[in-house]
Amino acid sequence: MIDFARVQKELQECSRDIESSGIKVSPKSDSLARLTGTIPGPIGTPYEGGTFQIDITLPVMGKFEWELKDGYPFEPPKMQFATKVWHPNISSQSGAICLDILKDQWSPALTLKTALLSVQALLSAPEPDDPQDAVVAQQYLRDYQTFVGTARYWTETFAKPSSLGVEEKVSKLVEMGFPEVLVRSTLESAGGDENLALEKLCSG
Amino acid sequence: MGDYVDSDDDYDYQDSDEGCDDEDDAVEGIEDDTEIVARGPSFKVITKESILAAQREVMHKVMDLLWLNAHHARTLLIHHRWDVDKVTELLVENGKEKLCAEAGVPTGNHNNDIPNLPSSVGCEICFDDVSVSDATKMECGHIFCNDCWTSHFIVKINEGKSRSIRCMDPNCNSVCDDAKIKALVGARDPYLAQKFDRFLQESYIEDNSRVKWCPSVPHCGNAISVDDVKLCEVECACGLQFCFTCLSEAHSPCSCLMWELWTKKCQDESETVNWMTVHTKPCPKCHKLVEKNGGCNLVCCLCGQAFCWLCGGATGRDHDWTTIFGHSCGEYKEEFEQKSQRAKIDLHRYMHYHNRYQAHLDSFKLESKLKESIQDKISKLEERDSISKDFSWIVNGLHSLSKFRRILSLTYPFAYYMFGGEIFKAEMTSDEKKMKRELFEDQQQQFEGNVERLSLLLEENFDDYDGERIKDLRARIIAVFKSTENLCRNLYDCIENDLLGSQQGTVHKISPFSIPDIQRIGLKEPLQQWHS
Repeated sequence: MIDFARVQKELQECSRDIESSGIKVSPKSDSLARLTGTIPGPIGTPYEGGTFQIDITLPVMGKFEWELKDGYPFEPPKMQFATKVWHPNISSQSGAICLDILKDQWSPALTLKTALLSVQALLSAPEPDDPQDAVVAQQYLRDYQTFVGTARYWTETFAKPSSLGVEEKVSKLVEMGFPEVLVRSTLESAGGDENLALEKLCSG
Repeated sequence: MGDYVDSDDDYDYQDSDEGCDDEDDAVEGIEDDTEIVARGPSFKVITKESILAAQREVMHKVMDLLWLNAHHARTLLIHHRWDVDKVTELLVENGKEKLCAEAGVPTGNHNNDIPNLPSSVGCEICFDDVSVSDATKMECGHIFCNDCWTSHFIVKINEGKSRSIRCMDPNCNSVCDDAKIKALVGARDPYLAQKFDRFLQESYIEDNSRVKWCPSVPHCGNAISVDDVKLCEVECACGLQFCFTCLSEAHSPCSCLMWELWTKKCQDESETVNWMTVHTKPCPKCHKLVEKNGGCNLVCCLCGQAFCWLCGGATGRDHDWTTIFGHSCGEYKEEFEQKSQRAKIDLHRYMHYHNRYQAHLDSFKLESKLKESIQDKISKLEERDSISKDFSWIVNGLHSLSKFRRILSLTYPFAYYMFGGEIFKAEMTSDEKKMKRELFEDQQQQFEGNVERLSLLLEENFDDYDGERIKDLRARIIAVFKSTENLCRNLYDCIENDLLGSQQGTVHKISPFSIPDIQRIGLKEPLQQWHS
């Protein structure tokens, strides 16, 4: 079972120094097993200025009922980017993260905050030799400039919901003949993905 | 030869090459030649009960070498896959401290029991304060509450990481003390603690390149340890003989690759499939396979569809003996016939070798049943003469026979790959191949004749023989055994030196010939001793 008392304490701890770290963790619903983490993109990287949301699921128990497995913190939390991000160690499709401390290097003494700090550190120091997304990693190694450009564009497009980029997309979609209110809500539910929003709008 | 095992070991062992004197002579000449003819390394059988003793023996070496306790020695050995030589080498190279640190053996002395600490400590895992008696300090100096330690251990054991459970501190590399793990886990789940103990013991076998489980099904519980990981065939105490490299049944003189290909070939009957693809054609309409049983090239399927046998295309029915009206595909004819011819030859070749291989395998099975009938005959004789004599020579003679028989059956798949197919295609000219094949076949036939002779002698109904005739039978068996053994050795020489030895950079190393039981077989002692 998850040690909820510990999760509770972690959340308190985290909200106390939110000013200095910029890292936020909040429960998604009443259950403490599903949370959302928020990290700012590191300064001096193509992710600067973006705010990235990460879905966190805490492991409850083993695969089988009879398995005497303890959940969090003895097993690592499952983390996945909810915001689309262009990075060699993060899947551009699913947001899956390739980070050792979320797998076999996890230690129960680590916390959600330290794990999120590691994810943030991963954003500033990609490891293209151990890629999660082969396409991105290849671009990173072969054509670094294009990589930076794409990563920055993705940050602008997906990690800044209130930026000008969105207004442009809204007007573009409105020009296509969709009502503005609908466009805004659809765009939001699609996570800022213009194409996905268009698909949704078209399908009804 | 120098590869005997000390007999004062405290667990069971079997020496793989307790050779006789003249075996020495025969081998001496070629010993320094190549790896292929190197003697098989000696091996030991480790039973379920002796795993611990075998493990302890290796641990003691490291404990004496480095002044470590048993737990630290085990951690170090697990990290280095139980290779004492490697540990010694690294000790000289890097020194004790580095060696230990890399393996996660704590070097500092934090072992004293939490002195000068307040009565309660804050656990950094559950964020609770617990009394000192409910917390445990590992050798690395990190202290957490017992509940958290236990959960951590249970998760790691269930993840299959029992052999190196590290401290919970994210920056600490040291492996936790197995005694403490056992005590803590045992308090919550005694069964899992037992499992943990077993996992640690089995590490000696599973993480060790010189030791392998016997592949018997159902598993006999034994493992085999070899002195040297070179290619060799070993025999478990349960009777199973297997190849230490590929773990399949003993297959010398076939190499591991040949044996793998052969078993696969026999399994999927790929030759039959091959035959079918050449001799039949799918109907273009109903797709059933159609065989041509005569007549011209216009074939009619049962479904009524007519098609051209040469190209498989659907046609009309109007034709004469030479042409199908409105259809032409003549240029394909030649190629097709060549293909058909080759498939026929390949199949024929495979059948030749497979039939002989199978025949000897069948004899092998029949001969293993002989054991009981020989026992019957012996007890009859003993009843009649009311004295018990030493009949081990006939029982052991039978044992050798089955060994010879197995080798004989395996010479056929060997020849199949040696003198045909793709493996050695580029390495011999066809003249060379023919010459070598004849040489090999000559040896093989002689060996075969002697194996049959030995088989015949062992089947004699000696139960109504008098003492004189039994003496005679024994002498004949010994004579035939000796010549068979010599022929077998010659055959191996031929394979190792003339056939495989000449191949450049070959991967086909085979296990060397050995009859490990000559000493025990009782065929060596003088005749007089038996008839006293």
